[in-house]
Amino acid sequence: MTSSESAIDNVELTRSLEIPATHEHEEDNRMLGFIIFLLSESVIFLSFFAGYIVYKTTMTDWLPAGISGLEVREPAINTVVLVSSSFVIYIAERFLHKENLWGFRFFWLLTMAMGSYFLYGQAVEWMGLEFGFTSGVFGGTFFLLTGFHGLHVLTGVLLQAIMLIRSFLPNNYAGGQFGVESTSLFWHFVDVIWIVLFILIYVWQ
Amino acid sequence: MKRAITLGAIAIFLTIASIWMGRASYSWFPPQASAEAILYDDLFSILTAIGTFIFLGVTLAIVYNIIFYRVGRYDTSDGPPIEGNVRLEILWTVTPLLIVIGLATASYQTYDKMNLHGPTEIAHLPQVIEPAYADTGMTAEPMTNVEVDSKQWAWVFRYPEKNVTSTELHLPVNQRAHFELRSQDVIHGFYIPAFRVKQDIIPAKTIDFEFTPIREGKYRLRDSQYSGTYFAAMQADVVVESPAAYKDWLNEAAKQTPTPAPNQAASEYARREQKEDSAGWKTVVPAPAPMVNYHP
Amino acid sequence: MTTTTPQDLIPKTPPNWRKYFSFSTDHKVIGIQYIVTAFFFFLLAGVFAMIMRGELITPEPDLLDRTVYNGLYTMHGTIMLFGWTFPVLSGFANYLVPLMIGARDMAFPRLNAVAFWMIPVVGILLILSFLVPGGPAQSGWWAYPPQSLQNPTGNLINGQFIWLLAVAISGVSSIMGALNIVTTIIRMRAPGMGWFKTPAFVWTVLAAQLIQLYGLPALTAGAVMLLCDLSVGTAFFDPAQGGNPVLFQHFFWFYSHPAVYVMVLPVFGIFSEVFPVYARKPLFGYKIVAVSSLIITGLSGIVWVHHMFASGTPGWMRVVFMASTMLISVPTGIKVFAWVGTIWGGKLRLDTPMLFAMGGLINFVFAGITGIMLSSVPIDIHVNNTYFVVGHFHYVLYGTITFGIYAGIYHWFPKMTGKMYYEGLGKLHFYLTFAGTALNFLPMHPLGLMGMPRRVASYDPEFAFWNVLASLGGFLLGISTIPFILNMVSSWTSGKPAGNNPWKAIGLEWLISSPPEHENFEEIPVVVAEPYGYGKDEKLTENMGG
Repeated sequence: MTSSESAIDNVELTRSLEIPATHEHEEDNRMLGFIIFLLSESVIFLSFFAGYIVYKTTMTDWLPAGISGLEVREPAINTVVLVSSSFVIYIAERFLHKENLWGFRFFWLLTMAMGSYFLYGQAVEWMGLEFGFTSGVFGGTFFLLTGFHGLHVLTGVLLQAIMLIRSFLPNNYAGGQFGVESTSLFWHFVDVIWIVLFILIYVWQ
Repeated sequence: MKRAITLGAIAIFLTIASIWMGRASYSWFPPQASAEAILYDDLFSILTAIGTFIFLGVTLAIVYNIIFYRVGRYDTSDGPPIEGNVRLEILWTVTPLLIVIGLATASYQTYDKMNLHGPTEIAHLPQVIEPAYADTGMTAEPMTNVEVDSKQWAWVFRYPEKNVTSTELHLPVNQRAHFELRSQDVIHGFYIPAFRVKQDIIPAKTIDFEFTPIREGKYRLRDSQYSGTYFAAMQADVVVESPAAYKDWLNEAAKQTPTPAPNQAASEYARREQKEDSAGWKTVVPAPAPMVNYHP
Repeated sequence: MTTTTPQDLIPKTPPNWRKYFSFSTDHKVIGIQYIVTAFFFFLLAGVFAMIMRGELITPEPDLLDRTVYNGLYTMHGTIMLFGWTFPVLSGFANYLVPLMIGARDMAFPRLNAVAFWMIPVVGILLILSFLVPGGPAQSGWWAYPPQSLQNPTGNLINGQFIWLLAVAISGVSSIMGALNIVTTIIRMRAPGMGWFKTPAFVWTVLAAQLIQLYGLPALTAGAVMLLCDLSVGTAFFDPAQGGNPVLFQHFFWFYSHPAVYVMVLPVFGIFSEVFPVYARKPLFGYKIVAVSSLIITGLSGIVWVHHMFASGTPGWMRVVFMASTMLISVPTGIKVFAWVGTIWGGKLRLDTPMLFAMGGLINFVFAGITGIMLSSVPIDIHVNNTYFVVGHFHYVLYGTITFGIYAGIYHWFPKMTGKMYYEGLGKLHFYLTFAGTALNFLPMHPLGLMGMPRRVASYDPEFAFWNVLASLGGFLLGISTIPFILNMVSSWTSGKPAGNNPWKAIGLEWLISSPPEHENFEEIPVVVAEPYGYGKDEKLTENMGG
């Protein structure tokens, strides 16, 4: 048997395996799988939070020399934007349910804009700070937490962009809206994480 | 009736074997050179006896079935379809539970009696039980104070009383010893098997540690937390001697000017550097041989 | 027993070994890919172990440079865990779970294949790290900082860096595998297969994979911070900059203790499948055995500090975690007694799988007893980080887990290949392995009690006697794999046809052809009975008999 033949074999195998065996429940399976993934992912954040709390409560000189604390006002505005975007994305989803694609696209794009504003705001904050990633444990945990979360926001915005593009493909949402629903769920997850993070880093000083 | 006799005989055999193992366990250790070691070996003996009972019990049960319930050559039938037995299942849930509660209690009491201190940054257990040294008719005072300085890969012991440094740990017998453990680089482990005590040393921290040597002699102190290339060579001798001999040693050492002590890691490294074709990989360079008042 | 009967189904597709080298999405192909790949890593890490035992046959560091010894022991542990034990058990889960629950494949077949193909990458990275300047990681599989941060070469690409990368990839692969398996078990069980009709192996795999899902992210968090410290120079675990190295130990053990249960739970599952078949009796107390796996999942998350009793932990913490650790012996004990109950008064057939399962059970009881000793804080303070611990966990990882894996391989070999293995070689393999295990790992216990620290390349002459014995045992274990490899290769190529069900076992996987067709079941089975109905003369399924 030549290798090209076995490659064809495989393609057929793949096709025959996936269609009858899993397609009927695939949407539900994927959603369950995604929820499990998010729960697991949240443990990484929980670990970082736990580490942060341990550092903060046990270290004698927490702030690096010459730093008096973090500015709260700008991040608070950022927080409001990010948290409200969770409601906006929900409205977008409602429009999709009613099969109003333009309504969906408008609010979806608005969510993306709010997410991007959050990222922009955080970048501005980072630029203005007097300490860096390697400035002791304080600088390390600050950039680790905000950076790791920021990476998730960025991922969320990129996923949203993909879903927006997909909405222009004909009949793309005929077989269910797993992509949109999971992106939306991911966005809510990123929001909840930020609220905890904001309280830990900015409010509890 | 016959079954009861068989079971009784097995139980007696298991009990005798377990007690014998429990007794034998004392011989598996280095000499009991500290008050804590006595407590330790007693607890270990109890655990060995219980463990032997369970291990032999399960093994005998399996062997018994292998001998008497092996299927015949042409027998293709199934065994009796017994799916379980609620009373038996409750029994073997509750019994282990009671055993571990007992073991946990015994272990806690022994640990509290050892009174080793160790890191106490967040909270401290209340001292409920008389410490071990009280059993031997001693009080906590007078204490020998030693500062232990560890680095890759050497031990240095400092006696603040006379400002003496040494690479050999000297302790007076029957006197509570108190240590301040420090590390200059990575985590090391302060471990003297004959005393059954061990404590990791965390850099940038001072950790208090205590025990009571009760037997004169020479023992080994080893690094117990992996610390890099020459980890295995990071050992020192511990000399437990009479209070008078200890005092003499301390006074004698105080008169000596510090000289470099022999250090296995440093000398091995020097030898390796001389060889052009060293088979090993690049390593952290050992700290230079420590300058001390006394070395063997 | 090995002759085919007329009702045996003959696989329609001719065997094609090329599929094992392709990006297949068939769970059976992936399962075998995992098992065979893992076995190569097992041999490699075993060779490392034998070189180390060669060094330890004399007290002086004469065979190897100390750096080489430290690199070898680090890679031995890392490859044995991330290259052998985790992947081989993923292989069993992949192969067996869909068959046992009456599904045609896993929930996410493509994700499954991606997760597998990361494993060779992990192994190759670890092997390549021997070639970078400075050699592979030399800080043990714990990689405790600050020692693991020292990086004597100063290069950005160093052994520790590659090690972290490999562990991270392995972690991603495990998470993918875990969410795939959990989804499959929750959603794809055949009609009629309620939780208490699900085989015990499936229960244990579920319990194990749930641990992966809550535990691995904590290790990931710790590893990310360690990587930042190593490569960027942050302060998280570096005491010189105010960091807290003990925090890393918490992150590490929060996952790495439960990880032991990730590895041992599926083996408990294999025991629970094997004993009923060869004792011809139902699994004793099946329901409580099944549920006890989930109890272990829960408890294993609150015991991690017992690895740190002599570390920078305060006394109260030591005592609390001693209690939780001892408690975990209760659900474990339930299983042990249930297996003995299963064997008790049965019709014992001492085929190779049964021998390995019984040997594994005896070894596990021994390991459990030394485990209870280690959970006692005062006992642990003396033997922690000595060879006593090394002996203990090798009795778990080799004496129990590897024995269970061998039992599983022999038991399902006819199903996986359609061929019978040679019983005589199998028995020889068992006796050599059992003797080698005892000779290699028993002497480690007295060594630890005498005070020999683990991870040493040289030791005091007083330890020589037991070390020589252990080394001989290590070489014997090396030899013991020869009959196994011979058996597997020759049986797979020219063994007798096995038929559907050579063991007359009860279970969905035994109702279909050996090896099963793609998609396993032509018609999805409808389950009507509990598993392990030995001696009960009842049908397992409504539509496929059994």
